[in-house]
Amino acid sequence: MDGKIIVVTSGKGGVGKTTVTASVGAALAKQGKRVAVLDMDIGLRNLDVVMGLENRIVFNVVDVIQGRCKLRQAALKDRRIDNLYLIPASQSDEKSVIKPQNMTWLCNKLRREYDFALLDCPAGIEQGFKNAIEAADEAIVVCTPEVSSVRDADRVIGLLYARSITPRLIVNRIVPQLVEKGDMLSHADVVDVLSIDLLGLVEMDDAVVVSSNTGNPLVQQKESRAGMAFNRIAMRLDGHPDLPVEDPMAGRSFWQKVGKKLGRKNRTAKR
Amino acid sequence: MMMGLHMSHPDPPVRLKGVGDSLWITMDASLPVEVLKKELCKPFERLRHQAVNARIILDPGEKALDEPLLEDLSTFLKNRFQVGRVSRPPAPKAPPEDASTRPDPENGWLYQTEDSLVIAGRVRSGQKVEARKHLVILGDLNPGAEAIAGGDIIILGTLLGTAAAGQPDNESAIVVAMDFRPTQIQIAGYVAAGMSSSAGKKPEFASLDNSRVVVADYTKDNPFKRLAWPEVR
Ligand SMILES: Nc1ncnc2c1ncn2[C@@H]1O[C@H](COP(=O)(O)OP(=O)(O)OP(=O)(O)O)[C@@H](O)[C@H]1O
Ligand SMILES: [Mg+2]
Repeated sequence: MDGKIIVVTSGKGGVGKTTVTASVGAALAKQGKRVAVLDMDIGLRNLDVVMGLENRIVFNVVDVIQGRCKLRQAALKDRRIDNLYLIPASQSDEKSVIKPQNMTWLCNKLRREYDFALLDCPAGIEQGFKNAIEAADEAIVVCTPEVSSVRDADRVIGLLYARSITPRLIVNRIVPQLVEKGDMLSHADVVDVLSIDLLGLVEMDDAVVVSSNTGNPLVQQKESRAGMAFNRIAMRLDGHPDLPVEDPMAGRSFWQKVGKKLGRKNRTAKR
Repeated sequence: MMMGLHMSHPDPPVRLKGVGDSLWITMDASLPVEVLKKELCKPFERLRHQAVNARIILDPGEKALDEPLLEDLSTFLKNRFQVGRVSRPPAPKAPPEDASTRPDPENGWLYQTEDSLVIAGRVRSGQKVEARKHLVILGDLNPGAEAIAGGDIIILGTLLGTAAAGQPDNESAIVVAMDFRPTQIQIAGYVAAGMSSSAGKKPEFASLDNSRVVVADYTKDNPFKRLAWPEVR
């Protein structure tokens, strides 16, 4: 196999990296891909909790890197979705136990075992971030419609381009009513400043919180708008790059092709 | 001129960073060629398809990079990783009196040989562009990004970040942008923040008037309209 390593990052904390990693991972697996999701937030793990797997953890990613177990031993099979595996973070170590060269080694192993490996990056642009992007092939930048989040996402995009990694954007936690009233940045404003390809728009959705408390995957809930948005994001990542991005501001059944219109490619960095 | 977009690493024998549309390799050219090739493989294996057709610049730092070695490494990288053109770094200084030696247009901004600087693209948060004299940006300056110039700053796009013109003490410098919504403006030693006479979306410029930064509509109050004769800025 020659899988893809995708890092999910944002700069700012709490904008939805872990949610995106879990949901997009689940959606890709539902589409029949072999998927690993890795919690790279060493010391502050929570991807396991969101996926409802915390009580099964025996080994973690630091154990794999330090040779205490095999990759397969650390990979926990999801309870509800086939082909989805979680490689948890270590809760007791510090980010500095992992070195960039360890990541190159680990990602090469992941490419052989999985079609997609999604790395849930810690917030910030320090060691943990540098580790997570070290060997990534692609990046998903998650951003909320807030000025501070856009600023941090922009910083991260610059750092990714400097490493020749092409980022794509997910705008998360959009509240159409607030945008309508002019109390929230519109996704068009966000895309305008960041000017990278748009991968998807995800609304604020109570089902996100419920799902992370019950462990019932968001992407299996047909009535969840966020869940459906994540399913479409997974399709764009895998085989349907031109699937139109649904505009949360447009009428409920109206599909608008904003991907091409707003996702102006920034071609300054060599791919 | 510098752009602050590179992350620092400890010092491996071969380092790679993206610079503009090229990959810039800093390497210790005194190492045996086999070792160099082995070290070169590491970053390129990581980049894989992204290195295909990429322009490569081999920078030996202080040391010399002789022609046979350049040739050898170039062939190696092309065969192994399908890279595009491989070259040395552009010469740092062109003799200023010889107008025919233009800087390499694609990498001109790396080593500024002229006083004024024109760049295209988007300057992002955390990045900084500096010019000794005038600075022209064909693109946007994002929030959190900085533009610094000894002379004028002209932005043919949206100014959202911080622009410091006339540094350190040129009080006649101006800042012009097609869409003028800066975080902060500095001219010579004077600082102003959050001042746009409109909500942006039209060309405006900032200049000094009695030790105060003022903003005006560029199309209406173009400060150069009344000059009797075109002059060099
Ligand atoms: N679309 C959404 N609708 C509603 N709530 C959301 C949405 N996306 C994320 N959240 C909630 O926001 C909070 C932060 O999300 P998450 O943990 O995914 O962010 P993070 O970027 O991983 O944070 P950290 O930087 O701390 O790792 C969580 O409580 C999550 O349930
Ligand atoms: Mg998280």
